[in-house]
Amino acid sequence: MSATALAPESEERTQALRKLLNRRYTFIDRKWDIVFWVTAAFVVAAAADITKLLFAGDWDFWTDWKDRQWWPMVTPFAVIIIPSALQYIQWLAWRMPTGAVYTAISMTIASWIGRIFNWDMFGGFPLAFVWPVMILAAAIWLDWVLLKTKSFVLTSLIGAFGFALILWFTNYTVLAPYLQPIDWMGLHVTVADVQGIEYVRGQTPEYLRMIEHGSLRTFLGETQYVSLAFGATLAVAGYWVGQAIGRGLAIWPIGRFIKRF
Amino acid sequence: MRSKLKYIGAVLAAAVAVVLALPPAPASAHGETAQEAFLRMGTVAFWDVKYSAEKVAQGEELTITGTAKILETYPEQLAEPKLGFIGVIAPGPTVVIKERTVNGAPAPMAIEIEKGGVYQFKMVLQGRRVGHWHVHPIFGIHGAGSLIGPGQYVDVTESAGGFTNEVKLLSGKTADLENIGMGGVTFWNVIWLVIGFAWLLYWIVPKPTVTRLPVTSQIPLNTDGGAYGLITKKDHRVMNIMMGATIALVVGGMVWQAQAYPDKMPQQVLHFAPEDAVVDAKFVTADASDGAFDPATDTVTAKVKVTNTGTSPASVESFMTSTLTFPVAEAGSEGRSVQISPATPIAPGETRELTMSITDEVWAKERLMPVGESRMQLTGVLRLQDEAGHENFVTIQSFVTPSAMA
Repeated sequence: MSATALAPESEERTQALRKLLNRRYTFIDRKWDIVFWVTAAFVVAAAADITKLLFAGDWDFWTDWKDRQWWPMVTPFAVIIIPSALQYIQWLAWRMPTGAVYTAISMTIASWIGRIFNWDMFGGFPLAFVWPVMILAAAIWLDWVLLKTKSFVLTSLIGAFGFALILWFTNYTVLAPYLQPIDWMGLHVTVADVQGIEYVRGQTPEYLRMIEHGSLRTFLGETQYVSLAFGATLAVAGYWVGQAIGRGLAIWPIGRFIKRF
Repeated sequence: MRSKLKYIGAVLAAAVAVVLALPPAPASAHGETAQEAFLRMGTVAFWDVKYSAEKVAQGEELTITGTAKILETYPEQLAEPKLGFIGVIAPGPTVVIKERTVNGAPAPMAIEIEKGGVYQFKMVLQGRRVGHWHVHPIFGIHGAGSLIGPGQYVDVTESAGGFTNEVKLLSGKTADLENIGMGGVTFWNVIWLVIGFAWLLYWIVPKPTVTRLPVTSQIPLNTDGGAYGLITKKDHRVMNIMMGATIALVVGGMVWQAQAYPDKMPQQVLHFAPEDAVVDAKFVTADASDGAFDPATDTVTAKVKVTNTGTSPASVESFMTSTLTFPVAEAGSEGRSVQISPATPIAPGETRELTMSITDEVWAKERLMPVGESRMQLTGVLRLQDEAGHENFVTIQSFVTPSAMA
């Protein structure tokens, strides 16, 4: 469904739309709002978590994969796609800047359920090794930028870029204890490294990690900020992947029904 | 009819609920026999793998020692073995690895490896999860995957205090790896969820949702609909306050972590080239040919031409392949063995053709002689010993012809 370009606004038309907004429908009451918000959460949570697993995979899983080079690049791209799609749908349909936050809450709860039941209780991994990424602060930013700019283009440029930065800052806060050094087998390594080696994983020993490959090392201690800037650029691209999903997959098939209004 | 359908539906739902509620059967192995035989035999050989205990309490130590060799026959289909990792595989972190040495030196990270390389390993584990667990050493090879060594069941019993994994940080403080950092993880997750829910509920609770559609479908996308009451100035004001609080918390979090954890470092990227294994000087060469397999009797035979280049008579002691060791059969002995004929020691300077024969159900049971597959080979390591007790481990390989196809 595409928005209709209107003729110059008249006071008469404005009043008509105001009236329409406040109209009481006998067959569409608030129960349908509850049905939507509650039931969609499961679908959105699954979509967001699966997208995260597909694109970020181990980089969102283990503390020792939350490194300073790949994690800031891969994770924002992976977790901005569904928030972007929902943002388009919810802004288009209801003019609510809630798509990203709604997705973030759904995904956060789903991720924690998965970590607690599957990985801690069944798999036996300590939660301290498998906690999921937090995207809520970044999602609030994304929705706020859309609210202020009313533009998906500007939201992609400013919002998605900031999304990656805020995501990294908020998660670095909780990652900090895992970056403390330990003298282990004659080496100075991080707590996260020791967790990664001590806790036996199926088929993913730490040598597979791609961390610290490439010429980003030439930036010395600033590696993580270069990665972050690149990750933020990738997030802009990820935002448009989400827009494509929102516009193409979610809206188009039901658009003809929506137009009946 | 309708009540019948309801009844059937209820029974089906109950059945699904019961199935879902049942605990899954524990896995007792790691799919090692699913790998192609030529990979299991031709990539890495393990021998002398020993477990110091079969039963440990939580927190008690268990040591696995053994030797692994990247065989010279490493298949060309796999990536060249350059980087490896010796570890253990188990059903999750049922044990934790507390210490690891390769060829006598500490080897916490991955190691640089090569074909023909011999790696004597020692891993000190601690029991963690209570249960009956199958534990294997593994040799992971970058680009290829993990090759599994001989496994053993380990019983982990409950300790009075459960399992803790305390480490001493460089700062001098101690921390338990089981729950380190979880205070911060929990605190910040709760904080962000509270703010997130506040943001969401602000929009959902006082404002109708679905009934906004008749208006939004008639106005341009790049407007907040303020003129019609979709988004009001108050909405903007409240959202600005919440955004401000969010930014303040993000900055506050960064300040807090900088003060709470001033000493931080990036994760490790080191690889080690381990010391060469201490091995005896080479005194023997061996070459295999004419491999054959008789599925009817589960018997593998091969000719092995052995040359003793040393100064002392040498004898074949055993043949190792995949996770199996076949010691040379002794009179009256039972169990897994290899027959060598003639069995007399090979004199210095002598070249002799031996016939090696192994009859064992394990070929079929572990799918090590898969008749009809594209690459049927016998690969393994012969262990030879001279009279002075020196040992050589020689890799041999021969194509195998199944007798049914001969």
